Amino acid sequence: MISRPISRTKQVVLSALSVLLLLVGYTWISHRQHQVNPDDTTIPSWSQLAEGAVKFTQLDRKGKRWLVEDSFATGKRLAAGISLGVVFGFIIGMSMGCVPTLEAFLQPPISLLAKVPQTAALAVYFVFFGTGMEMYVAMIAFGIIPALAVTVYLAIKDIPSAMLDKAYTLGASHFEIAFEVVFKQVLPKFIDAVRLCIGPAIVFLIAAEMVVGDVGFGYRIRLQFKLTNMNVVYPYLVFLAGFGFLLDHILRLLQAKMCPWYQSDSK
Amino acid sequence: MMKDDEQQDFGLHCQKVSHCFGKTKVLYDLNLKVKAGQFVSLIGPSGCGKSTLLRAILGTHPPNEGQILTIQNGELISADRPGRDRGIVYQKYSLYPFLTALDNVALGLKLDQTTTLFRMFNWSGWAKKRKAFRDRAAVFLKKVGLGHAMHMYPNQMSGGMQQRVAIAQALIMEPEIILLDEPFGALDEATREELQEMLLLLYQENQDAISKSQKPPYTLIIVTHELNEAIRVGDRLIGLSQYWNWEEAGHDSPPGATVVYDKQAPIFRPDERPNYESFEDIRKEIRRYVYNPNILQSRNEHLKN
Repeated sequence: MISRPISRTKQVVLSALSVLLLLVGYTWISHRQHQVNPDDTTIPSWSQLAEGAVKFTQLDRKGKRWLVEDSFATGKRLAAGISLGVVFGFIIGMSMGCVPTLEAFLQPPISLLAKVPQTAALAVYFVFFGTGMEMYVAMIAFGIIPALAVTVYLAIKDIPSAMLDKAYTLGASHFEIAFEVVFKQVLPKFIDAVRLCIGPAIVFLIAAEMVVGDVGFGYRIRLQFKLTNMNVVYPYLVFLAGFGFLLDHILRLLQAKMCPWYQSDSK
Repeated sequence: MMKDDEQQDFGLHCQKVSHCFGKTKVLYDLNLKVKAGQFVSLIGPSGCGKSTLLRAILGTHPPNEGQILTIQNGELISADRPGRDRGIVYQKYSLYPFLTALDNVALGLKLDQTTTLFRMFNWSGWAKKRKAFRDRAAVFLKKVGLGHAMHMYPNQMSGGMQQRVAIAQALIMEPEIILLDEPFGALDEATREELQEMLLLLYQENQDAISKSQKPPYTLIIVTHELNEAIRVGDRLIGLSQYWNWEEAGHDSPPGATVVYDKQAPIFRPDERPNYESFEDIRKEIRRYVYNPNILQSRNEHLKN
């Protein structure tokens, strides 16, 4: 039946089964490919993948470990870009939601920015910010600010005015309304929005790294793809997915911790 | 400045309040004096401007003409914005979903008596105050019969419980007057009656205070469309209506609603089962003079207060 809950064991077994099927499917496709061409590197066998793992975990000729180098570079860019985007997205959303003057002032640029595909605007970022750290940070930040700001703005518009009026009768100042009522009400939805922004942020970053990077996940994937070293590319994709998953999970924990009331709402 | 005994008695004054939205005239020359300790039931046909009047008193939408006076720290003030001297209980959205029952009730003390800077920088001072606020909130939650639900979030509570918390939230501020806007409108009959009993308990505290010649602690205006509720809870019935003889008063078109009915209501003890059939005479009178669009009497005919 539709949306009837299933038992916990059933859930675990089914999840494990889907992963197993994926692995078996891959092994089979790879095996078939190698029967046609034993030297194939596009769908590497498990032993080829192990060779790839050696390649990106051992020191290379320049004495660097790719995985460490790339994780560090990409992680730093992503962290800085998302942090900046989160801070400004929140501030802009709050200002738009709380101050009608700023709402009128900020609405046009935000809706315009939201419609521009970041990957298409790469060149603009290169022109304005060069090809260093600033460019990556600006690109990610500008990419996620519109969605975050709009989420906060709409969440504020959703708050019934009765709730705000009531706070005045409880002796709140304007600032207290913003901080004690609006902020706390909006916080869980904002965290949800940040979770949804992680995917796009990674897309923007990888795209930029592919074009101008000299280190980082995007750079490595592009380079190794040109050499058809798919035994490096596939693991890298898995790492990226794992990284996004981890970040998402951390934010979910943060939300449960900071907004226990919201959690109990969705249960 | 007022004399002391006058101030003792003062609840709320509406003086010549008129209001219109564009060409739609809603309230006309409305005068109302509420004394401290009164439980006023505000009734009237739909569209008569009950909500407009309530919002005017609350101060979120001040009237076009006339003024509404309340008292704050012994000073008469004009109620042109919401303030801590007037509490409000709405039918919905009365509670903050991110706070437990206890913190919802304690919120007013927190907002009113401490500042954000204090809470951010004086941690030990704030911890002490917060404890005191929560203790006080617990007293009020027990008063409304929710001693067992202090740590529940609003979405874990029934509608009746939520309204109890909302009332405690308003009570804890000890405002000059509390406005209740159809507070039990979304509740079932049994829960409604329980909550009415709770209000009557508050009324009893008023009477105890009066018998000791102290100032009664609670003054209420309750808007309701349920006549039985109005009669049972209120000690004074105010009928607001657009149906009155305005032609006689020299108007060419309906000037808006005004007070057309103002009488004492019978007083009930909280544990007294109301006999709703005995309300029939009052109900009939109210339906006739307040609700019936075809019976237009002079506006002063049924003001007995």
